[in-house]
Amino acid sequence: MTTKIKVSVLIMVGCLFTVSCKHSDEHKYHTVTDKIEANTIEYTGDISSDIYNETIRKVEVKDGEFEFLIPERKSQIASYNCTECHSQPLEKLKEYKVGEKAAHWNINLSHAGPETMNCATCHGKNDFDNLQSLTNSSIDFNFSHKLCSQCHQQQFKDWKGGAHGKQLGGWVPPRVSNTCVNCHNPHSPQFEKRWPVRYNIQVAKERE
Amino acid sequence: MSESSKKWYSLNLNRSAKSESCGCDKSDGLCDSDKPTDGYDQIMDVSISRRAAFSKITAGLLIGAGAISNSCSIVGSDESKEKSAMEWEEYFKGNYKLMTDEEKEKTVGRLVRSYELNTGKKINMSSKEAEENVLFGYAFNISKCQGYMDCVNACIEENNQDRSSQMQYIRIHEMEDGKGFNFEEADDNYYHEVPAKGHFYLGTQCFHCDNPPCVEVCPVKATWKENDGIVVIDYDWCIGCRYCMAACPYDGRRFNWKTPEIPLEEVNKNQHYLGNRLRKKGVMEKCTFCVQRSREGKNPACVEACPTGSRTFGNLLDPKSNIRWILENKKVFRLKEDLGTEPKFWYYMD
Repeated sequence: MTTKIKVSVLIMVGCLFTVSCKHSDEHKYHTVTDKIEANTIEYTGDISSDIYNETIRKVEVKDGEFEFLIPERKSQIASYNCTECHSQPLEKLKEYKVGEKAAHWNINLSHAGPETMNCATCHGKNDFDNLQSLTNSSIDFNFSHKLCSQCHQQQFKDWKGGAHGKQLGGWVPPRVSNTCVNCHNPHSPQFEKRWPVRYNIQVAKERE
Repeated sequence: MSESSKKWYSLNLNRSAKSESCGCDKSDGLCDSDKPTDGYDQIMDVSISRRAAFSKITAGLLIGAGAISNSCSIVGSDESKEKSAMEWEEYFKGNYKLMTDEEKEKTVGRLVRSYELNTGKKINMSSKEAEENVLFGYAFNISKCQGYMDCVNACIEENNQDRSSQMQYIRIHEMEDGKGFNFEEADDNYYHEVPAKGHFYLGTQCFHCDNPPCVEVCPVKATWKENDGIVVIDYDWCIGCRYCMAACPYDGRRFNWKTPEIPLEEVNKNQHYLGNRLRKKGVMEKCTFCVQRSREGKNPACVEACPTGSRTFGNLLDPKSNIRWILENKKVFRLKEDLGTEPKFWYYMD
């Protein structure tokens, strides 16, 4: 007897729910997060970022689950290969004549403090054509993010995921993202203060 | 769509309840045109009382009189005749949302042609539909924004906004540290070196809510949410009542108090019907996530212009997209989440 009642109560409750929750398609999800989760699907549409990034030479970054492209760097460095000048050991190059400009005179290192960093923190004394990690292994200029990530771990993590940095060409795959040095000058990485590009005079007048 | 048979703007005068989408009298269902009729047909084909007919026709004539006199005149040039004919068709066109693809193409064609006749310059206008399996979303990093306002300038140029009224889609609010999100005390028209000490910057624009109150209140259904989540406006259907402006809790909508003016050489000629095409006085407009760009796979102009990478745009449904990673890995929040508007615009910090 009691089971009968229980069953009928269950059916009634069930009916109630089906009636009250019968929304139109528009209100199928309680939140947009539910909607996103329910409809998740990898983009396989016709549009591709390739046409917008045609002019950029790219290299591929592979790191765990992440695979994306970054602009190639070496061809963008004015005097690469470094060994075209650095054919001699550094000690010899130091003996420049009085009155001559020192090499790389235009570079003003403003990255951490002098106690933390100097030229040799990133540039090797022996292997001029590559960057040098903290443990003296070579890092290709095209993959300079590996060098930066030695200290900037959190930024590196966010960059790989896409929370730090900038995607080029648009939102469609394949993903091409700026690498660290495309936005930050490695010798002076902080963004400079400047004036906003706009001031709304009309708005200011109206608010007076 | 359950209401597909009844268009909300149909006149419905003396119309029997049985008469379906079609205005013809055939009851056997073998109608000449199964496609939904546009505004012109609805007005012209509907059976209507003499009295109502006269009032409707008079109203139409008042506006169309010039067009008729021009198009029927023998002395008028071919161009002015074409122009008048187009103006007539434009006047009687229906709501964009209810147009067939063919009708959409036609109206786009008319707009392109009339711009050419008026200015001698060609524009490119699209009526591209939403991509399948795409839902657009946006993320804004308040740790990174420096308040340079490059985004605002890019938005104005991309979206053909009126220059003199300085009505802009994007606002960058300079907020004092330690005071929370205090919009009343924030300054959105600062002019000094940025970032200012002890301040942070937060940008707002249309958040393209998944449950948009602005759409809900529009009395003429001139604004709606597209399948890719972009909330759009049919500028030719908007009556300028500004209910949507009042309903938006985020100050996301703008009104054209005057005829928008853009220097001819600065007009962005890459346009979309629902996006940056030229507006007129008395209609609403707002951010459309640059529909003319985003539906082509590009980022909105603000995202592209931002030098700091504070702005991320993408497909929320794609598990490999940057925006999805942000939503899943950063501590994100939205403004006024308790309202249930479900904005698709998230903020986060480093």
